[in-house]
Amino acid sequence: MSMSPTFLAFHTASRALAASQANIDVTGNNIANVNTKGYTRQRVDQNSISSGGYTQKYGLPMASPGWGVEVSGISQSRDPFLDARFRDQASEKGKLDTILSGLSDLESIFDEASTDGLLNELSNFINDLQTLSQTPSAGDIAFITRTAAQKVTQIMNVYSNQVTQVRNQQIFDLSRVVIENEFNTKVKGIADLNDQIRKEQTYGNTPNELLDKRNLLIDELSELAKIKVTSLPEKITEDLTIERLTVSLYDTATGASISLVDRGLYNTLYVTDNGDRVNVGIASSFGSAASGDITAHFSGGSIRGYLDLINGKGINEFRGALYYRDSMDIFASNFAKVLNDLNTVDPLNPKPLFTASGGGAITAENIRISDEWLADATYITTSTYGSDGGDNILRMIAAIDTDTSFYKDAADPSSTVMFKGSFHDYLSGLIGEVALDAELYQNYTDTSANVLNGLYAARESISGVSLNEEGISLMAYQKSYNAAMRYFTVLDEAVDALINRMGIAGR
Amino acid sequence: MTTQYTRSLNELSVELNRLNTQVASGRKFAKSSENTSAAIKAFQIRKDMLKTEGYQANVAHAKASLTDAEAALSHIEELMRTASERILFALNGTQSGEERKVVTTELRNIRDQLFQTLNSSTSGSYHFGGTNTTTRPFEIVGGKLQYNGFSLDLPLPADTPAANEALFADLEKDSMILDIGLNTKFDSVTGKVDESTVFGYSIAGINIVGRGTVTIGGEEFSNNLYDLLGALASELESGSYSYDKADALFGHFKTATGSIGKSITVIGAKTSYLEFMAERMADRVFNMQERQVSVEGIDPAAAIIQFESQKFAYTAALQMGSKIIQPSIFDFMS
Repeated sequence: MSMSPTFLAFHTASRALAASQANIDVTGNNIANVNTKGYTRQRVDQNSISSGGYTQKYGLPMASPGWGVEVSGISQSRDPFLDARFRDQASEKGKLDTILSGLSDLESIFDEASTDGLLNELSNFINDLQTLSQTPSAGDIAFITRTAAQKVTQIMNVYSNQVTQVRNQQIFDLSRVVIENEFNTKVKGIADLNDQIRKEQTYGNTPNELLDKRNLLIDELSELAKIKVTSLPEKITEDLTIERLTVSLYDTATGASISLVDRGLYNTLYVTDNGDRVNVGIASSFGSAASGDITAHFSGGSIRGYLDLINGKGINEFRGALYYRDSMDIFASNFAKVLNDLNTVDPLNPKPLFTASGGGAITAENIRISDEWLADATYITTSTYGSDGGDNILRMIAAIDTDTSFYKDAADPSSTVMFKGSFHDYLSGLIGEVALDAELYQNYTDTSANVLNGLYAARESISGVSLNEEGISLMAYQKSYNAAMRYFTVLDEAVDALINRMGIAGR
Repeated sequence: MTTQYTRSLNELSVELNRLNTQVASGRKFAKSSENTSAAIKAFQIRKDMLKTEGYQANVAHAKASLTDAEAALSHIEELMRTASERILFALNGTQSGEERKVVTTELRNIRDQLFQTLNSSTSGSYHFGGTNTTTRPFEIVGGKLQYNGFSLDLPLPADTPAANEALFADLEKDSMILDIGLNTKFDSVTGKVDESTVFGYSIAGINIVGRGTVTIGGEEFSNNLYDLLGALASELESGSYSYDKADALFGHFKTATGSIGKSITVIGAKTSYLEFMAERMADRVFNMQERQVSVEGIDPAAAIIQFESQKFAYTAALQMGSKIIQPSIFDFMS
């Protein structure tokens, strides 16, 4: 019959104390980080230790108590599936937020709900034409009419310039802020952290704080683009396998992926502005994709939102800044064409009221009053009969007020008809489009925010710190610590009795 | 928990702000995207209101012009009545040649006044020139009255009577026109204004004075008020005065003055039509204002109640803020 060593139990008690201590420490760390962004709740991984009798050939015919507890590590409480869903939704919301803010900018250019704009000015122009038709030969009224026409052209200029400004702002944000400052910094940060984490893990450490930092960066990156995060096992030694984390751009439409981060390697993005088309390219230092244009590859995130706003021409794609610029150009060129034609009595001797500053095709940006009209307010043809009547003014009023075909190319009546209706209809239709889009994206954004908040809450319930839970743990571990100390006392007393008092009777 | 709280506080204050703007501005929406369909309706109403304002201004202008023209026409009518009385006085067989000469002077005087009144204008625009408002419509050329540069005798030249007739028909119809919301239309071929879709508000002078010629005793006379008065004056002072000839001329003169009354009647009809249109437009504006309020405006009572209840909710949420950091187990540990 064998006996366990006398002082073995002291070690068991010591480990018990250590385990409780570790639990108290981790609980304390959790409580300390209750408000730390990105912090993941930690827990002590512990298991009991057997006396090791299982491997002996012949089992000992005696009860063998365990040797206590072992603290094997401190790990994080995370749900990778929730992480993936959260990031998907974050990239959706990133896209929607960007689009919504861009649409609000565009809406405020055209909207006349609280202010007067082109619609109002067009009505004023018609009314000044009406006044001119009362006394068509009056030079002072002709002057006022021309001023009203000038206001119409100036507002068109302003609209066009503002749309261009909004677009340029978006290009600046995309290129300087989002891609250079945020995206590229974040992928580099993730790659750096990959390196550090790998080193720590190779030494057998668990770099929870680094993991938190990396997770936070990945969360933030997912707001910028739709990404896919994969974790592959990497075997370091026979006994040690660590995770190899890769991040790639994921195109939901095609299912294709482009590598962004793999271990310490990373690829950065850059923006090229080709006028009407802004492209995003990748400088590929590793992975399957070659360097070059990957504009079509973004299926989510604010980058996609920016690209939609910047490049969207509205035909079979998003109605972005270009759509509104083109729409105003079509309005301006057709408006000028209709009135220029009416002002011209003899086709061989055109009398344009409106021209393009600098010549060429008329656009909303360059439309202005013709030099001839500027020089002489009565250049406007009031009558086609050579009298002082106002029949031609009525013709102009009717032309502005009745249905017109808006040609894609105003000078070419065989080009596509983009819209049929009055000039007012065209404009209020345009305002309606941008307002409806803004309304729609507001709804999308609200929904997406709700889903994201739900996912956030679900994730928090797993990874977040709950003070109640930690408080209860603290009390429990305090008790277990006390119990372990009590165990020590018991052992101490037992050994004391064994050494000092056993076998001394009758001495 | 705090994230949630911050979000709901934010939502509440956004809504509070929106309601505040509503109450302050009296408008349902500040941006179209808040209520796109109402905004588009509102734009339509605003456009229609401005359009009607344009029509109202046109109606007012037409009415003022017609009133001016009517005053001038009444004066002409008065002049012609005086002329008739004087002619009747002169035609009386008991009058001596001296007395006829006095009437002659009076008639020439009246004729000059007629000429001036026919060329009367308001703010630089002639009343009776049709679409010619900048040059004097009536001129005396070779002792005869001309209208807008055309001789009033017909046929001239003799070989193109049909063309002349068409020309005079055009001159008679020639009128300043305005758009008063009758949906202006144009001939698809000639591009001419469809007269039934606009409002013609000036009287062409040719309708007042008459035109053509008459033959009395083998002699041809211009059949218009001015020339007839002249011919009568000449006959009355003539040494070879003939009662029959003078009486025949007077007959034509009486017939010609009938057109003045006709023109005044036309003006009366036009004015009452304008009054009818003005009333209708005032009604339309009123209706549109009501619609505008219902589309764009808020019900102040409802908005203020909503605002107050939102304010209450917001205040309640703020008060709750002090309790948002909920007690935890730590508060009960000893």
